[in-house]
Amino acid sequence: MWSRKSAMLGSLAVAMYLLGLTLRNSQLVTIAVVIFVILTWAALFGGHADVASSGRRSEEFTGEEGMALGNVSAMRKMSSARLFEDGELSVTLRMQNHSGLAKILEVRDRVPEVMRIKSGSNYILMELGPRRETFIEYTVECPLRGFYSLGPVAVRMQDAFGLFHREKELHVYNDFLVFPKMEDLKETFVKSRVPKIFTGAVNIRQPGPGSEFYSLREYFEGDSFRAINWSAYARSGKLMVNERERDAVSDVIILVDSRSVSETGPVSRNALVYSTRAAASLAKYFLGRRDSVGVIVYGDEVVSVDRDTGKKQLYVILTKLAGAVAKGNTPLQVVVNRILPHINKGSPIIVLSNLEDDPTIVNALRDFRARDFDVTVLSPSSLEFEFDAKRLDRTGYEVMKTERDVLIGELRGLGVNIMDWEPDMLLSTALAGARGF
Amino acid sequence: MAGKTSGDTSHLYDSKTVRSSAPSRKKLAGSTGIGTEIPKDAIPEIQIPSFVESLLGGPLVPKMKFLPPDKMVQNLQLAVYGILIALAFLTLIVSPGAGTIWYMLTGSIAVATTVQVIVIALATIAGFIGTFRRDGRYLLASNVLFILAILRFASSKVALSFDPFGLADRPFLLSSLVVVYAVFLIMYIEIGNGVLRYSMLDTSIRTNEVYVMNPGKIVGKYHRALVLNPIISILLATLVLSANTILPALVGVLSSNTARRLEESVELTSVYGVALGTLFVFLVTGALFALNLPTHLQRYRESRDA
Repeated sequence: MWSRKSAMLGSLAVAMYLLGLTLRNSQLVTIAVVIFVILTWAALFGGHADVASSGRRSEEFTGEEGMALGNVSAMRKMSSARLFEDGELSVTLRMQNHSGLAKILEVRDRVPEVMRIKSGSNYILMELGPRRETFIEYTVECPLRGFYSLGPVAVRMQDAFGLFHREKELHVYNDFLVFPKMEDLKETFVKSRVPKIFTGAVNIRQPGPGSEFYSLREYFEGDSFRAINWSAYARSGKLMVNERERDAVSDVIILVDSRSVSETGPVSRNALVYSTRAAASLAKYFLGRRDSVGVIVYGDEVVSVDRDTGKKQLYVILTKLAGAVAKGNTPLQVVVNRILPHINKGSPIIVLSNLEDDPTIVNALRDFRARDFDVTVLSPSSLEFEFDAKRLDRTGYEVMKTERDVLIGELRGLGVNIMDWEPDMLLSTALAGARGF
Repeated sequence: MAGKTSGDTSHLYDSKTVRSSAPSRKKLAGSTGIGTEIPKDAIPEIQIPSFVESLLGGPLVPKMKFLPPDKMVQNLQLAVYGILIALAFLTLIVSPGAGTIWYMLTGSIAVATTVQVIVIALATIAGFIGTFRRDGRYLLASNVLFILAILRFASSKVALSFDPFGLADRPFLLSSLVVVYAVFLIMYIEIGNGVLRYSMLDTSIRTNEVYVMNPGKIVGKYHRALVLNPIISILLATLVLSANTILPALVGVLSSNTARRLEESVELTSVYGVALGTLFVFLVTGALFALNLPTHLQRYRESRDA
């Protein structure tokens, strides 16, 4: 293909040639001839004439067309196909020259825009000898969750003066998944009032088999001798036994707001980013204590992960969270109406939403509370993100903050455990705040 | 339903009363005193090239701030300075004041010569500044001024402003001088551009934007091209411009009389003879391209054993 430089020189040569003939100026014609010679030489020995102005991709060429780059191939190897936010991915690109001619190549491996090159380079200028191969290694840092793809590999060849070049995209793609990063939680203060029959790791404030102390009671026939509290016996003179809090598994439902408004704020600091990280951390915590966790992501549609337990469930949830895209405006009430018939009464429900642009929030949460669900709302404040990014003026911020506080107060009045989650607050702190600790 | 606002979704939920909506960014943006305009930072920055930039195919002043020049760039700068001095001298020789635009405007050979010298001096100074500061604007101005200096009317035959080597009586050497001048001009344009390209590349390397494997070979190829291309250009251009001697020689095989008439023909020794030579040579070149010679050449080179 003609470069801008060659196109400009070509135009200059044509103009000078015609002007030279018009003005009968042999110097102008001579300069034009020299330019023509240089261009022709570069085109002839660069082997570029076959692609010039055809406007087609090299892949579409058959037979002899695009031959110089037809003999160049690429393969890619990644250190992992799944990683967490802020994780690093090592990439090795193998470039091969199958022809008997050394080539000077510009190689650029296309990396998603949000990624940062940590070490090495994805843009290489190199001479690849005849029938040789070389390895290009670089490491990318993945700061944001999502489904990503590396590739294609863009290869370019040009003559020494940069007059003509040919480009080819080698369609070598590698997909990978970046999961939201997780915070280690020690305690969430979220417990089910309606346990399931299996014994788990959650104390549900009912006496039964468990590990945490609940109360003392008198000894009845059949009680284990190991449960006798000898100190209490010594004090009261009656045989007393320790009762323990019943450990049990429960269903935990996490609702993640991924409506378009949830992406208000900078790319790396917005409600959706915080919500997905929180959902991942909570899912890990609850699954770790053998609860059954279900996740519902609502944006332009309602995507749900059915309740289940175990490590596999964690990766199913993480995958859904990685793919959450801010889109649509499905009201919370629609989600509530849809899930209410399917969840156990009294199950803990955790809502992660910035509470913006949804007129149904109060009614939806009231519906949950009316059915005695334990509702916790963590609301990453988009206002703070916007204000920090200096996109909101002080007055606008104060007005919206007041309205937000009014809404939060109203929800708290319904018995919802709610926390206005500010950007610098840890998830565990926000959770403790929501639960009144 | 028609009267309902878009945010009111009560009709969807069994006629439940829907409370006033949660804070709406859009609504508040219009009512908090900062106006309804879209905030400036909400619009992504788009750089639309100016008319001149679009003509030149890109910004004249690169957005990249160059790092101090490395040895390769310094050598190229030195080469440009040398070529610039030679080019200024050659331009002065091959473009006398007579026939220039300034001569047509003023009618005075003295004024025209003075203006011509000033134009060449300006072109040289702009070239020096552009190369030293690595600023494309000055280099472009320099190129334009050099081309402006060579724009002359009614100069079908090459005329010299002064003739220190006595070339006026030797037409072949005279046309060779013009060819050398043209090659110098093109090489000046190319190496001036090379200073910018390699500064850009060097900065990209040093800021880790690009990694260069085996830079010596890549630079070596450029150096070879800087030597090889002028030689080839001189040879081919001389061939093209020698139509007035080659054509009579060819015709002379068939008819010596016609050949002699051709040799004495004013048209053939003028610019039209050059045009005719160009036409013949490029017809041949065009035919080679039409026969797909570059591809065959490429295939041969690709399949050759290393």
